Amino acid sequence: MRSYIIRRLIYSVIIAWGILTITFILLRVGPTSPVDRYILNIAARGQDVDSVRQAIEARYGLDKPIIEQYLLYMGNLLQGKWGWSFSASQPVLDLIGSHWIYSFQLILLSTIFAILLGVGLGILSAVKQNTKFDYAASIFSFIGISIPGFWLGLMLILVFAVYLGVFKTYYDTGYPIWSVENLRQLTLPVMALGIGELAGYVRYTRSAMLDNLRKEFVTTARAKGLPERTVIGKHVLRNAVLPLVTIIMFDLGSIVFGGAYLTEIVFGIPGLGQVSFNAIFANDYAVVIAVTLIGTFLVLFINLATDLLYTYLDPRIRYD
Amino acid sequence: MTETRSMTRGKAGMPVYINRRLMNYYWERLKKNRLSLVGLGFIVFLALVGIFGPLFVQDPQKVDFEIKNMPPLGCSIQESVYDIKTSEFTTTLINGRADHPLGTDSKGRDMLAMLIAGSRISLLVGLLASGMAIFLGTFIGVLSAYLGGWVDNALMRFTDIMMTFPFFLLLVLIVFIFGPSLAIIVLVIGLTGWTGAARLIRSEALSLRTRDFITASKALGASDARVMFNHLIPNVISLIIVMATLSIPGVIMAEAALSFIGLGDPMSTSWGTILNTGQHSLDTAWWVAVEPGIMLFFTVLSFNFFGDGLRDAFDPKASV
Amino acid sequence: MRKHGLKAASTALLAVGLLSLFLSGCAAPIAKGNFIEGDVAGGEAETLNWMLAADASSFGYVGYTLESLAGYDNQFNIVLRCLAKDIEASSDGLVYTINIRNDLKWSDGSAVTAEDYVYSLKNLMFSDWLNYNYKDDWQEEVDGKNQFVVPAVVDNTTFTVTRESVQPEFVYTLYDLIPYPKYIAVKYEGNVDAFTQAKEFNDLSYTGNLGPYKFKEWLKNDKFVLARNPDFFLGKEIGAPFFQEYTLKMFGTSAVMQAALEAGDITYCGLEPQNVLKFKNMERINVYTVPTRGYNIISYNQRANGWEGLRKKEVRQAISMAVDKDTIVKKIYLGFAEPAYSFIPSSSPWYSDETVLKLGVVPLNNKEKAREIIKSAGYQYGKNGDRDVLLDKDGQQVKLLMVTTPGSDVVESMSLLIKQELAGIGIDVEVKWVQWPTLLRQYMMNKVPGSSQESRYNNGPQAVSEESWDMTLMGHNTDPLAPSGSRVFFASDGGLNSFGFFNNEVDVLFKKIRSKEGLNKDDRKMMYQELARLISEDQPVDFITYTRGNHGFQKSVKGIEPGINMGYNQYLWHFE
Repeated sequence: MRSYIIRRLIYSVIIAWGILTITFILLRVGPTSPVDRYILNIAARGQDVDSVRQAIEARYGLDKPIIEQYLLYMGNLLQGKWGWSFSASQPVLDLIGSHWIYSFQLILLSTIFAILLGVGLGILSAVKQNTKFDYAASIFSFIGISIPGFWLGLMLILVFAVYLGVFKTYYDTGYPIWSVENLRQLTLPVMALGIGELAGYVRYTRSAMLDNLRKEFVTTARAKGLPERTVIGKHVLRNAVLPLVTIIMFDLGSIVFGGAYLTEIVFGIPGLGQVSFNAIFANDYAVVIAVTLIGTFLVLFINLATDLLYTYLDPRIRYD
Repeated sequence: MTETRSMTRGKAGMPVYINRRLMNYYWERLKKNRLSLVGLGFIVFLALVGIFGPLFVQDPQKVDFEIKNMPPLGCSIQESVYDIKTSEFTTTLINGRADHPLGTDSKGRDMLAMLIAGSRISLLVGLLASGMAIFLGTFIGVLSAYLGGWVDNALMRFTDIMMTFPFFLLLVLIVFIFGPSLAIIVLVIGLTGWTGAARLIRSEALSLRTRDFITASKALGASDARVMFNHLIPNVISLIIVMATLSIPGVIMAEAALSFIGLGDPMSTSWGTILNTGQHSLDTAWWVAVEPGIMLFFTVLSFNFFGDGLRDAFDPKASV
Repeated sequence: MRKHGLKAASTALLAVGLLSLFLSGCAAPIAKGNFIEGDVAGGEAETLNWMLAADASSFGYVGYTLESLAGYDNQFNIVLRCLAKDIEASSDGLVYTINIRNDLKWSDGSAVTAEDYVYSLKNLMFSDWLNYNYKDDWQEEVDGKNQFVVPAVVDNTTFTVTRESVQPEFVYTLYDLIPYPKYIAVKYEGNVDAFTQAKEFNDLSYTGNLGPYKFKEWLKNDKFVLARNPDFFLGKEIGAPFFQEYTLKMFGTSAVMQAALEAGDITYCGLEPQNVLKFKNMERINVYTVPTRGYNIISYNQRANGWEGLRKKEVRQAISMAVDKDTIVKKIYLGFAEPAYSFIPSSSPWYSDETVLKLGVVPLNNKEKAREIIKSAGYQYGKNGDRDVLLDKDGQQVKLLMVTTPGSDVVESMSLLIKQELAGIGIDVEVKWVQWPTLLRQYMMNKVPGSSQESRYNNGPQAVSEESWDMTLMGHNTDPLAPSGSRVFFASDGGLNSFGFFNNEVDVLFKKIRSKEGLNKDDRKMMYQELARLISEDQPVDFITYTRGNHGFQKSVKGIEPGINMGYNQYLWHFE
């Protein structure tokens, strides 16, 4: 087991290095340059653009050959130096440090929201298979999967904030993270982000439950006269959890820089998503690479955690 | 499954199998799923609208500032124009008109015409990009499974890297660097979205490889390429079709999301670009943001309905 | 309310007068509350270490914590800030003597001295290692070579800046000057990395009593928070500033921002034209409509890779004549703009209504007449289907390419409207949207074909850009006080004359304004009038509109003086 984990970790580092290198090459070989955003202002004031371009390239070491920049960056990274964000004018780690919590709380809450409601509805749906409730839940889950989260966010703002005035139209960082007001103002973002996952979980839970309901051990359990609650709760649900875990973990990995980012934009939440995409637009490669690496490690970690969770949930699975 | 198979060659040299009996069987199964038929119906309708619709409505790019910000039929809004000299406002009531049933945007472009133009873009991007991704995925998956050894290893490690890459971040990064154009967007989604397909096809192909008819044709001296194209791919074709159908909504959403954050092709009218302008006038011209979202939603919903039905139809285990 | 590039203030006299007015008129205000200004994302500052910045926002952010030497009120009168008295220029216009106040302090308690100013200029802004972005402002051309002006310390509160050539408008550059603290900067001198990352410069912890506020918190993409500075040198006596905190809050879209103003969540924000009346009718909101520095121009490519007709003055005039500026004002700005005729806005003291040629408004907005002029310039009209189209000399239909940048609804609308207008005189326009860097590199930068020149924005009359183009549509900011800065566009050797406009008379006038002959203000005004006439007649670009800004405040905010520089007395604003 331990050797398996170590092998996986080494493999993760190699993958992360590959991703880092691809990102670096993309950022530094493309036609855009960090100097672009300066040029506009400089030109508008009638200053000599060329000398400013050279000066800024020299300031950030962009005038060196690409390979030298790469080695320099890698060297610093190995020493734990994540660099300086020239678009935010602060160390990359500080920048990430002050913004991650906003993404984290959003993702955490929407995942909880999606799991609780989604799994619940899914179980009910499976138990009440082919009833009106089941059909309604099925239609609802199709709708949830198909609705674009960012558009749903806009519509929620339009209805609940603009017309009804129940919520603020924007996210107010003035409230402390641990406060009721903060929880309240996260209602709409959590709904917008969570509804897609929720809908997915309804479907997966339902089909996983149905798969297991058909199995022999369920029939046996029922034949033994066990109460239906025990049959569903202990026998069926337990076996349905495994595929669900995979899906939930996969969602967690992909949501950070996907749905969460769009939700952050729509609701004005200053999370990591906004930071990373602004960094892309500013060609701020130190930040872009850092957040890409974070995203990568997150996915790798989640994959590993999922695999280990498997061995716990299903003792038949072993990785030796 | 192997007896009566008539084969024709498509233009691209890909074999296309037509097996009427099998097709009829699948169609019968598909027909039993009503939602899936509704989905298919809407997709066909949308395709027809995309192809022929532009013939019946005005040019979606035609601006007319005399009728800008006109609300949909049945609604009305007020517009006030200021006079610098007198500091007075002249207010006019703008009513929705039958010749622009869905209203107009801030440049007086007909919303109906723009939505129709957008359906063309969305379908085109969806089909091309997921077609490309699935083709690449199939190719890599089959190659990997069939050749095995270091090729398999290298390809799968590369797949791992691409899979771990935060997808939307990569998308935004590349589109930002190489400039927002439809071609780039299609290419990027196509070139990055193949990983899931490659894995699935590989595992499917691996299990097929050991089956008798493959072994037999190899024994008869068929070349590797021949075995791959004539036997492996045809046997995973149903899987490919289902995957393609189910991946289209993701692609359409990705294009819309890119356009929504301002990375859409500025020279074309897509639902995402309309949404992007609409979010800025959410408080005054709500219909500009609402209408393309509804289209997006119904399109994605239809593909999900259809794909779901298709999967059940192809799945011998599923009861329909 | 952001100050523009550290420019904000009034005459000392006026400020004192005003102050006594409101101090006598009502009870002295007390400092309370948090003033929250809304801003649309994208306008955020790059850095608080302003000497490295290129954007106006960075200077704006820093301006809350550091005052410049002087600013201007809404009538462009000079308002002293760090100056003890107005800058004195010697009679030959070459030596400027600057006297600063003696009560300015850095955070460690040490006095801000003339040495700090001279050090900042000589060792930082003029240095090779730091590469200050706006070096050019401090350079003059002597015998064909660029050299820096020469600062020198006289005593603790006095220093001089000496030039070799006269430039009457150089004084405005001086007014904007802000020093870095020498006692901190010496630690980082010569090391640009260390300077860039210096903690003191990035958290503005050195600002002492130099500004109304002290830096408190900056959460990127969200808010920039300032806390009241009780020691502020201009406010100590009267208790100003009167807000406990001042917050700049970023919003994703202006729609959301305005909803926040309506709900009372923020104190102030700019308003979109379509919402002005709604807010004017609100009980709790005051709306001020004021002139801005922004204007839009269509540049006509007069270089060899543009349509040859554009090289003729009459054709350019005719095209400008076909674009109805009133329609643009009404349809795009809903009235919140005025037609522009030259680079000098009507809010400028140098503006004159009489001399400029007013193309694009009645009576010089006439498509029939425009066609006549084009015909008499030697072009003919033909038929394409049932439409009259303009034909080139070789009988081909004239199609012009207009390049502009995406992302702004106003610019997009305007380009489409112009396309529509020019169709009315038989000219087909293709609008092409490209990103800024592309526009700059492929369309604006030019060089003589086949030469080994480095691409620049103006490499002389023979140079052409990589891609051919006919028109560009862009927004610019003008300086109403020193409009001669526009020489970069219109002088033959102007660094941004990418459209290739060469007129000897214009060159001469720009030179005269920026020389001894411009020292007399009446003479300078005459020269500006002549310059505006020449450029409006030659029409190298079509000046379209000067825009009006709309500012919505909660009614509880008092002490605002609406105008082009309304932020000048911001430290006196207060809640009732």
